[in-house]
Amino acid sequence: MDNAAAPGKSHPKQQDWKVGVDIGGTFIDFCALETRSGRVASLKVLTTPDDPGAELMTGLSLLAEREGLDPAAISRFVHGTTVGINTVIQRRGVSLALMTNAGFEDVIELARLRMPDVYSLFCSRPDQLISRDMVFGIPARLRADGSEAQAPDMQAVDEAVATAKAKGASGIIISFLHSWRNDAQEAAVKAQIAKSAPDLFVFTSSEVWPVIREYERTTTAILNGYVHPRVSGYLTALEDKLVSRGVTAPALLTKSNGGVMNAAEGKRACVQMLLSGTASGVIGAAWLARRAGEKHILTLDIGGTSADFALIIDGEPQFGTGGLIGEFPLHIPSVSVSSIGIGGGSIASVDAQGVLRIGPESAGSTPGPACYGRGGTQATVTDAMAVCGWLGHSQMAYGQLQIDVALARAAVSKLADQIGRTAEEAAQAILDIAISEMFVEVEKLASRAAVDLREFTLMPFGGGGPMLGAFLAREFKMAKVIGPPRPGVVSALGGLVADLRGDFIRTVFTHLAAEATPLLRKALDQLSAEGLAWLSKQGHEGPATLNVSADMRYVGQSFEIEVPVQAAWIAKGELDPIEEAFHAMHLKLYDFDDPDGEIEIVNLRLSAIGAGPALEFPIEAEDRGIAVEPEREIPVFTGKEFEWIGLYRRDLLRPGGRFSGPAVVAQEDTTFAIPAGATVDVDRHLNLHLTFSE
Amino acid sequence: MFDPLNLQVFANHTRAAAENMAYTLQRTAHSAFVKETEDFTVMLINRNGDTFGVPMGLGATWYPGLTYTRAIDMVADYKPGDVAFTNDPYSCFVATHAPDTHLWKPVFYEGEIIAWTGGHIHNTDMGGAVPASLSRALTEIHQEGIRFPPMKLVNEGVFDEDILKIMTTNVRKPDLNIGDIKALVGALNTGERKILAMVEKFGKEAFLEGAEVLLDHAEAQARDILRSMPDGTYVFVDYADEDSVEANPCRLKLTLTIKDDEAILDFTGSDPQLGSSLNVPSGGDPRHTMLLVGVYYVLYTINPKILLNTGITRPFTCIAPEGSVLNPISPAAVGMRSLTCARLRSVIFGAFCQAVPERLPAAPAGNNCIVNVMTTDERTGRTVIAAVNPVVGGGGGMPHRDGTNGSGADAAYLKNTPIEITETEVPIEFVKYGLAKDSGGAGRWRGGLATEMAFRVFSPGSRITARNRDRSFFRPWGLLGGKAAGLSDMVLNPGRDDYRRLGNIDTAILQPGDVLEIRSAGGGGRGNPLEREVWRVVRDVDRGYVSAEAAERDYGVVIRDAVLDEAATESLRASRSTPVGHFHYGPERDGYEAQWTPAAYDLLTDILAGLPIHWRFFTKTEIFRRMKGRVGPEGVSAALSDVRARFKEMPEPLTATKEAAE
Repeated sequence: MDNAAAPGKSHPKQQDWKVGVDIGGTFIDFCALETRSGRVASLKVLTTPDDPGAELMTGLSLLAEREGLDPAAISRFVHGTTVGINTVIQRRGVSLALMTNAGFEDVIELARLRMPDVYSLFCSRPDQLISRDMVFGIPARLRADGSEAQAPDMQAVDEAVATAKAKGASGIIISFLHSWRNDAQEAAVKAQIAKSAPDLFVFTSSEVWPVIREYERTTTAILNGYVHPRVSGYLTALEDKLVSRGVTAPALLTKSNGGVMNAAEGKRACVQMLLSGTASGVIGAAWLARRAGEKHILTLDIGGTSADFALIIDGEPQFGTGGLIGEFPLHIPSVSVSSIGIGGGSIASVDAQGVLRIGPESAGSTPGPACYGRGGTQATVTDAMAVCGWLGHSQMAYGQLQIDVALARAAVSKLADQIGRTAEEAAQAILDIAISEMFVEVEKLASRAAVDLREFTLMPFGGGGPMLGAFLAREFKMAKVIGPPRPGVVSALGGLVADLRGDFIRTVFTHLAAEATPLLRKALDQLSAEGLAWLSKQGHEGPATLNVSADMRYVGQSFEIEVPVQAAWIAKGELDPIEEAFHAMHLKLYDFDDPDGEIEIVNLRLSAIGAGPALEFPIEAEDRGIAVEPEREIPVFTGKEFEWIGLYRRDLLRPGGRFSGPAVVAQEDTTFAIPAGATVDVDRHLNLHLTFSE
Repeated sequence: MFDPLNLQVFANHTRAAAENMAYTLQRTAHSAFVKETEDFTVMLINRNGDTFGVPMGLGATWYPGLTYTRAIDMVADYKPGDVAFTNDPYSCFVATHAPDTHLWKPVFYEGEIIAWTGGHIHNTDMGGAVPASLSRALTEIHQEGIRFPPMKLVNEGVFDEDILKIMTTNVRKPDLNIGDIKALVGALNTGERKILAMVEKFGKEAFLEGAEVLLDHAEAQARDILRSMPDGTYVFVDYADEDSVEANPCRLKLTLTIKDDEAILDFTGSDPQLGSSLNVPSGGDPRHTMLLVGVYYVLYTINPKILLNTGITRPFTCIAPEGSVLNPISPAAVGMRSLTCARLRSVIFGAFCQAVPERLPAAPAGNNCIVNVMTTDERTGRTVIAAVNPVVGGGGGMPHRDGTNGSGADAAYLKNTPIEITETEVPIEFVKYGLAKDSGGAGRWRGGLATEMAFRVFSPGSRITARNRDRSFFRPWGLLGGKAAGLSDMVLNPGRDDYRRLGNIDTAILQPGDVLEIRSAGGGGRGNPLEREVWRVVRDVDRGYVSAEAAERDYGVVIRDAVLDEAATESLRASRSTPVGHFHYGPERDGYEAQWTPAAYDLLTDILAGLPIHWRFFTKTEIFRRMKGRVGPEGVSAALSDVRARFKEMPEPLTATKEAAE
């Protein structure tokens, strides 16, 4: 081993590593920073779906080999896992029973009624995670004000537990109406089950997420229970493996809200991690954007089967609820990410009327695009890139993939023949269609958020983002595109830099009026206590930030908007600034307000944040505007014809470097396609800044 | 020049523009009707007035085939920044009841109109006799609110304040109307901007051509579907329970003729225009969108990739005789035409289910009942008016799947309100909200279950309205051996001694402690129930979807004390005969049609068609009054004689005599 002698590698004893790991569909990504030397290492390893966690150990071994990483020198280890979401998508969770109020057993099947695909007579709902024969209606009822109309019938509970056990349930979810107001009935039933069936795990809806709206609260509790044993088992095994490897830092887990939590929390609050993969990507992008001095960002993460988009406004990710876990909506606060099923592996086809289309079928990662040479024969978006000449000049995914242009051409030519065009014309059409599909989704995102994309900078990442990103940006007349140095590991970076973040909610559902002040104050005190206790349980010792917001609406509306408020307003009973903040937010989001309208405050929310490490990534010295020469010229079909354009190697691009599109930048984890009209500048963080002159 | 290789790109940009308009409208609208119920549409319209793009994710499903041509032509001298509007069902048949307000805006490029943007909102109230402007009991359009014929609402970017003042004076919630209308104008402006961006991207000529090519493509897709169907003539009949308040059934009849890649939908033989507000104002337009909504569902179900625009209507020709329920003349009331439209869809489904039964489901529940409560909050003494959950039924059994429970098919756009929200805001207490056992039609693929909702009130004189109730007598039909579904119902105080079944009525007044239970119909079954796998039946019983009794009765599956008796099941199933008939309608319709045979009803509609329009509904009612103890065409002829004897003033029906002999 010559690692120890390699220049720039410090002695293990002096090392201090921060490691972020993100597991995707095909690869597990590492982003590691050695803080003393400022050295950054990134890595991709193929996933091992049959033995989750094994690839993680492989990665640590590779980092040790290549970078001299000493496991004992890891002081921060952040992990994003897909075990939870895969459990739902693959329907591999445990058998659960659900207890509801008698008369309301169909709460999860009816859901909110409206279905996607409303024009189809075949529209349907997914099979529920708990089938109706495992739902038990318990005579019990709270009134809307939280008072008890009927105490839970404990005999019925015992009978339900016996039946559920006989049918193989390993856990029970309890969700009663109005438990957001009063959790006593749920707690009493949970205690009863603990007595009669201590071997069953139990989650109540109010302990998982105590928010008004019974379907949303119930389904969130079910998702938590459904993945709980598998996630918990995985985390325990992971902790053992890390310890046996000599990693002493506690494992932190990324969350859907873009923060992190410790493993003990992750085993209980499993539902918190289900959307962590996409969330971390946005957190990583926001961090990169702040460093690069960009305020408004549209992120674009293109993988094999989908493209994810998110808005970063004033440097901050946006939050929302309702993201899908497989076919089920998740109702806890999550970083808002929109998704469309178009990715590098999406398959092109010609329909009965001779029209070329893309997707929704995807070659995924197995067999993958034809040009991967793994048995795929149908033309995909990636193949179209290869036929046009944008791809195939370097290895992909850190050497794990080789592009075979001939295979891509064979696949695309089959389609081209069907429509009587050349392979290049067909390939260009495939790219145009793929971009237009994304255009539809991004238009929806922008109009929902009421933003003008021309004020935004596009940040493409993931394996496919840099391939298509700049072309998409042109569709929106976005003036700038920023390409981060390691686009393949932005999610892993997001975990590396993330804060501890716990979200808490209290439904208060009251008119915003002086009489409500004691109620609001009490709720805020409880939330603050919960938040601080949570941070301390995570082992956080530094200062804590408590962000408070309120979900409010005008009386008569049936949805709320979240408005940041100051704790002091509530503490002092100052309602005016709360009202003003609501009117202003309503005006901003909906283009009108009603200054005389009565306001209802539905929920109070609090995010408890313990700042993540202030990491110093290397900043290079900058020369100004040095023209960079391409490594060589390559022929690329740029829309109408082949042109000879410059091929640049990313690892040779230095701060201050400047060149113009059309060009191709090849790097270890992706290929960056740069259209004509773009000027590219390399900044001190090695980001590429594309600006379009128009 | 438009390169066909770009078709999908052009289609995507069109959809992006339409989705953008929809989000803008939903985001900035004021009323719950637009913001939550999504009773709105937006569209991109080509320079001829034909819709060429609609959103797929938001809004109502009825208007992708709407053409604005007649509305556009009724206003002269458009200038940039103008917006025109109408809510009058009779001026140009674009609006189809007074609450629906349609707006359209010219898109100018280099001084010439190259396209239009348009859309509609359902206003919470347009004035008239009743709050919300809708009641089955209304008898003429003038009771249904103020009407604006096509005229300019915005002149070169400036709202006509006079029009707004007239509206404000005449409607009950002017702020909501005007807020929503301004939101729709904002959406039209968004659409205009997006169209101009498309012109810039594709070029003017390619844009103009592209907007035509999308219609041609949709038309080609629709024609391909028709061509894949066997040529033939398919007749189907279905009934709405009542033609006015607590009166006689209303028949809709369709003769569908498919020839090669074209189809004719002849609605001759449907009821005359009614003396209630159940009329559908189509103006006799052979491609009126309201007549073709069922067709959109059929086409999209068969090919989910079909583009939705006016192109898909081109292969279809509708015949709706003047003075009939599907083509009333002014001043017939039209407010509750959505009830009739639900039946109209099931008639279309039934006709296509004869042409391509293997590709379509059985009847959906088809009663999208909207429930409103007006009661007093005992804590504050205030009157509370609120919409509670819609009560909708399941979808019909599909070719390879059970019908969707509790919603689905042509009701899938509806949303509910959480019990916790309603109970917190409205002083009522729910007793039940869930699926109704045994309500799905039995079949190889079971129909979707009905929804059942029951709630208690605490205040005297609490008024409930349950709009659009239907299917309390005529069941959603089963297909290919599948059984018809369970009926809808409304019961006061179920399970109590003083319980009362309210039938098809759509209003009720409750006193403190009263419980009202509203049930929808279910979805029809598909295929022979005896062929349903035993394990599925056992699972349905286990899940409470089907009772053990029904499992035995309908499926021949014997379950004793929650255990399957395999031997008994096998012999019971062997002893049952295979169901016959393409459709199963249930005993109520069979009984009804024993008296009102198809020939009898054909004679009736023939007689009525031969009378002046204002005599038709009257005469129908009088003939029905005299049908007791009478059967078939002879019965109708005899009843007609009695009517003519009683009302000597009645004119001679022009065609009354010839069919009596049939």
